[in-house]
Amino acid sequence: MGKTRIRIVKRDGCAKRKKVLMYLIAIIVALAIGAILLSSLDVNPFQYYGKMFTMGMVDNHIAYRTVENYIKAFVPLLLTSVALALSFKIRFWNIGGEGQFIIGAIAATTIAFTCGPSLGPGLTIVLMLLAAMLSAGIYGGVIALLKVKFKTNETLLTLMFNYIALYFLLYLGETKAPWNFFLNPESERPIFGSFADIVSFPTIMIGKFSLNLSLLFVIAICVIIYIYLKRTKQGYEISVVGDSVGTAKYAGMKVNKIVLRTIFISAALIGLAGALKVGTSGILSTSITDSVGWTGIIVAWLAKLNTIGIFVVAALICVLDTGSTIASSTYSAIDANFADILQGIILFSVLVADFFTRFKIVISKKEEQ
Amino acid sequence: MKKFISTLAVMLLVLAMCFAFAACGNDETTNPDDENVTGNEDGFKVGAIYINSKNDTAGYTFKHHQGITTAMENLGLDPETDLVIVDEVPEDTEAVLTACDTLVGAGCNIVFGISFGYIDAMEEAAAAYPEVIFSHATGYKSNDTNFNNYFGRIYQARYLAGIAAGLKSLELGNNNIGFVSAYGTEYAETCSGINAFTLGAQSVNPDVQVHVNLIGTWADEELEKSLAQDLIDTYDCCVIAQHCDSAQPQIVANDNGVFGCGYNSDMTADAPQAHLTAPIWHWEVYYQLAMENAMNDPANFVANVGNYYGGLAEGFVGISPLSDNCVEGTQNYVDAVSELIVSGEWDVFSGVKLTYDVADDGTVTINQNDAALVDTEGNEIVAAGGASVEDAVITGSMNYFVQGVVLHNN
Repeated sequence: MGKTRIRIVKRDGCAKRKKVLMYLIAIIVALAIGAILLSSLDVNPFQYYGKMFTMGMVDNHIAYRTVENYIKAFVPLLLTSVALALSFKIRFWNIGGEGQFIIGAIAATTIAFTCGPSLGPGLTIVLMLLAAMLSAGIYGGVIALLKVKFKTNETLLTLMFNYIALYFLLYLGETKAPWNFFLNPESERPIFGSFADIVSFPTIMIGKFSLNLSLLFVIAICVIIYIYLKRTKQGYEISVVGDSVGTAKYAGMKVNKIVLRTIFISAALIGLAGALKVGTSGILSTSITDSVGWTGIIVAWLAKLNTIGIFVVAALICVLDTGSTIASSTYSAIDANFADILQGIILFSVLVADFFTRFKIVISKKEEQ
Repeated sequence: MKKFISTLAVMLLVLAMCFAFAACGNDETTNPDDENVTGNEDGFKVGAIYINSKNDTAGYTFKHHQGITTAMENLGLDPETDLVIVDEVPEDTEAVLTACDTLVGAGCNIVFGISFGYIDAMEEAAAAYPEVIFSHATGYKSNDTNFNNYFGRIYQARYLAGIAAGLKSLELGNNNIGFVSAYGTEYAETCSGINAFTLGAQSVNPDVQVHVNLIGTWADEELEKSLAQDLIDTYDCCVIAQHCDSAQPQIVANDNGVFGCGYNSDMTADAPQAHLTAPIWHWEVYYQLAMENAMNDPANFVANVGNYYGGLAEGFVGISPLSDNCVEGTQNYVDAVSELIVSGEWDVFSGVKLTYDVADDGTVTINQNDAALVDTEGNEIVAAGGASVEDAVITGSMNYFVQGVVLHNN
């Protein structure tokens, strides 16, 4: 009698061609599953996917607005993912992106309302960015400090800090009080006020299309991060600490300092993403993060923490996200939740493929004695 | 590895076949639809932004969706092809603006936004797209050409529900009525609702007290349930009214053998032994009016429709059919008061109070008596015989409770 055993074994390596093939298969499988679901709801999957991947821009007289909105979603996700990847590189499990993003957005808004009217837009923008980076950097840095000093668990702490930030934001949004300059004074009901007429991030008009300069700004930051990681001493330190704390210590590196510095930068960049988001919209919102703190984790890992990879993955995920909302809008049977399910299926199968690029399943038959 | 690849390939093949079959089968069924899509390319399109899912089966978004689709069907539009919806949109200016772009990009001629927090985004979108009409529920902003707001005199319906509750309390000999409300004086909408309900109940039972428990959020089924239970246990309430999304307060009333007035939909099915009647919205009345105007004379939309604030007279608000749990004769009271309100002669928040004479055959005659409208602090809001408080107060700034309201948790 033979007994079948199934084991999961780590792969030694996977050829690039094979990897790409596996991702492609994963996406096709996911789309096929989605197509079956769509068909069961009497929706033509070809039309649906067509709308989704073109983000409804075909036959759309204001397609440039779709691109603008796409960029608005892409910029915060890209920057947050790149920043999260920095944390992950030194094996610091920062899942506090949401909180750091919110703190950055609140700090930037505070500057806009308090300093904006007197300082003029140029200086205010600079202060907004700096305030967001500093406050979010400290918000994340505190957790790094607790980790190096007291060996606290950063996964739990960053997670819990998310909720402190979120509920602080909710409190600001729901509390009518003389001190609360975040709210619109004209509204009887508490809603956030807009600072768009005080200060707003610059855009360049290309015909009807307005290009948000935050895109160029963030791409520049990504380039700097890329160089920082590949070409500087500090970047080298990050990769050594990430590989082995023991080796780093043996080489005489001050590991605690490196961890603190890197997490501060990581959180500060996420705060910067929050400032860019709120600076573009000119108004706070309780859903300001658009979940980039969570999505960024997926983006960073799918891209294997590689800066260029993150750019590509973030761009694709944004197409998926923007496209599925737009596609679902024209079908009465497909609501936003269903669009999320389709997205989830695609992400999940890509992650499964990712798993199989690193592990393989070995089925062996063992003779019983 | 080879084995794995081949397994995967087989799986893929199977899936691809399913895909092809599904697609083929689907083509046949959706072909007529496709023709419709192209056929209506230049036709009238309706856009909507919802706070919850368009596939909801109860609650606020559901009622609006029902109103929009009903209005479209009445006007010969097909909700399957002529209606574009972005749903699950949070009250986030950026997100709402993106939704507006999506709807305008899809060719919508009119865009409805149903949640209060969409207000600034819709104002901005109306300025950006002057050729599209934007219509915002529960808001207060508008412009002269393509942006208006709409809401209704639900307080009139609440007054009628109050009469049904008051008659029940008279019959039971218990003057304690409960009210589970999302908010209290923080929102004029909830505040005016509690007041109108109380005034209605007092008109038939002057000794009635309305005990209010506040939830502190628009929807929380657990709290809706426990606060209703508290009203029954602590204050001996015999009727439970509500201003919240779910039917939980009615179900609690049913389980405790007391009575209740729901909200938003006829909750008799949820609480068959308890439910009396519920104030309800007929959103389709406005949606049809708005769509008709947008189709026929879009340039003068705001001039013709204005900021809409319909009531019983327009059929925009009303109460669900009185259930068998109501006291006999309740319908006569309701009919008489409805008629009076519809005539425009009298309104709820005025310095005139109603009393009733009932003839032997059950016919109800209304007496109008001058009496001041006084709040719980003893302030005179409207002098005896005075005209009703202004609409702007009812929708925007009413922040006091009338005498007879007792606020418990805060």
